Amino acid sequence: MEARNLKITGLTELSAGHYLVELENSFSTMPLPGQFVHIKVPPFFLRRPFSIAGGDAEKIRVLFRVAGEGTRALSCMEPGDELNVIGPLGTPFPVREEWKKAFIVAGGTGAAPLLFLSSRLLSEGREALFFYGAREAGHIMFRLLPPGVDFIFTTQDGSYGEKGLVTGPFEKMLRDGLLPDVIYAGGPHGLLKNVAGLSASYRVPAFVTLENRMACGTGLCYGCVTKIRSGDGWDYRRVCKDGPVFDAADIEWEES
Amino acid sequence: MLGLKLGKMDLQSPVIMMSGIFSYGEADLGYLDYSTIGAVVTKTITLEPRQGNPQPRIWEAGSGMLNSIGLQNPGIKDFVSHGIPSLMDRGVRTIVSISGQDSGEILSMMESLSALGVETVEINLSCPNVHRDRPMISQSARLTGQLLRDVKREFGQVFVIAKLSPNVTDISEIAIAAEEGGADGLSMINTVRGLCVDIEGRRIIEGGYSGPPVKPVGLRAVYDVYRKVRVPIIGIGGIEKGRDALEYILAGAYAVGVGSGFFSNPFLTSEICGELKDYMVKNNFRRVTDISGMLNEKNYKTGR
Repeated sequence: MEARNLKITGLTELSAGHYLVELENSFSTMPLPGQFVHIKVPPFFLRRPFSIAGGDAEKIRVLFRVAGEGTRALSCMEPGDELNVIGPLGTPFPVREEWKKAFIVAGGTGAAPLLFLSSRLLSEGREALFFYGAREAGHIMFRLLPPGVDFIFTTQDGSYGEKGLVTGPFEKMLRDGLLPDVIYAGGPHGLLKNVAGLSASYRVPAFVTLENRMACGTGLCYGCVTKIRSGDGWDYRRVCKDGPVFDAADIEWEES
Repeated sequence: MLGLKLGKMDLQSPVIMMSGIFSYGEADLGYLDYSTIGAVVTKTITLEPRQGNPQPRIWEAGSGMLNSIGLQNPGIKDFVSHGIPSLMDRGVRTIVSISGQDSGEILSMMESLSALGVETVEINLSCPNVHRDRPMISQSARLTGQLLRDVKREFGQVFVIAKLSPNVTDISEIAIAAEEGGADGLSMINTVRGLCVDIEGRRIIEGGYSGPPVKPVGLRAVYDVYRKVRVPIIGIGGIEKGRDALEYILAGAYAVGVGSGFFSNPFLTSEICGELKDYMVKNNFRRVTDISGMLNEKNYKTGR
């Protein structure tokens, strides 16, 4: 974990309200899929956590949707500007030798860390089938899809791919008996909870990435906690430090 | 130049990481220059474990933030079973923060801590996020004084710091009561009670407000209390850059506490130490303790 001023090398609007920002990676570590960066966007007091959507020794890419004042300010910055960034933070998606075939389920901008993961899995010679759901065609980040990964698209308005929620075709595939070795998921709470339920029914391990409001981002303040099963009950664990990637079976899912 | 004594502890810097922002004092942050930190105050420990408050716990508000963690902690038994976290190998002292409903709870925790050889304790009398409808101990001069008397009677050898709330009519009254009760130092201010309205989610978010906007509130409290007590004051509230710490020290703080400003500025402790040194060199001051309270009307220099 480091704290540095990183230069913006590119800022592109991919579609209405969705942006890709590319930062010069002057950290000494390579980002791993599932990790995030905690970015100070002037003039706001609190940092904003963003999943890393891709990167290597030179670059860190972050995908974001303008959802409030902070992300709006970020969208108005320019290449050459510097951002104070703490990172890479949090637990990456676990990858085990015996997991040859993965199903990836993503909704909306929750796809960001999973696009990064899918290209990593592919480069390691694994198989990945990516279920990518969005509200409408314009919310699918076509320009970020790694070549070689198989995608199944859904949109809620039917403007691209199958109409409906992304869990539809995902569940159908499991029902048809095409079971992967592992499932990875990111996106809205309802999607993750649904994936967790299916993972339990079909006895396939699933790992999901959670989001929350954060203050420190580094495990110090306990602001971003979520309920994680422990014994007969649950404990509040930190999304920033104990996560953001959790075993879906460990999460105490809230009513949604 | 920046070193100072707080009770029996030698601090390498007047900068203290205040309770709640540095976990239990064990954190290892690659980007932090530990030589710029005098001490770390642990998250507040209570007698029994506490799960803390439900989400949302963090909310941005104006140029600061609201928090409502609700003292999530594993309880004193679990805390002491792991040994007191130490950053002593980097020269950083640990101060354990505790909170309880009454003297009985506090004394029981003091017993466990002093058995482990803890020399310095901060008693959090001012968490705004635990009992919504019950006053904090530090909202009553009588209760504050009584609690400190009870603690110091049994544990006279422990350096006890009382952490005070700004949510009172006159913080000086509380500070005086704490000192008369035997407090060895004061930490002030804790967060300011606040509330945010989420118009999209249509909900109310309550918590303690911190960040740059509370600096004048903290400075005023430190300035006023400095004239009324002789014990050292750890000045806290809205410090986000070097000169903020200098302002606190000139107004009467003996040491300074860093809170949520550290989240915003990860280089804060280094910047504070750098600016303090620059200011002292430029103005020919030898020790940071020499400038503490310099701009106050009544300037004590002794016994610190």
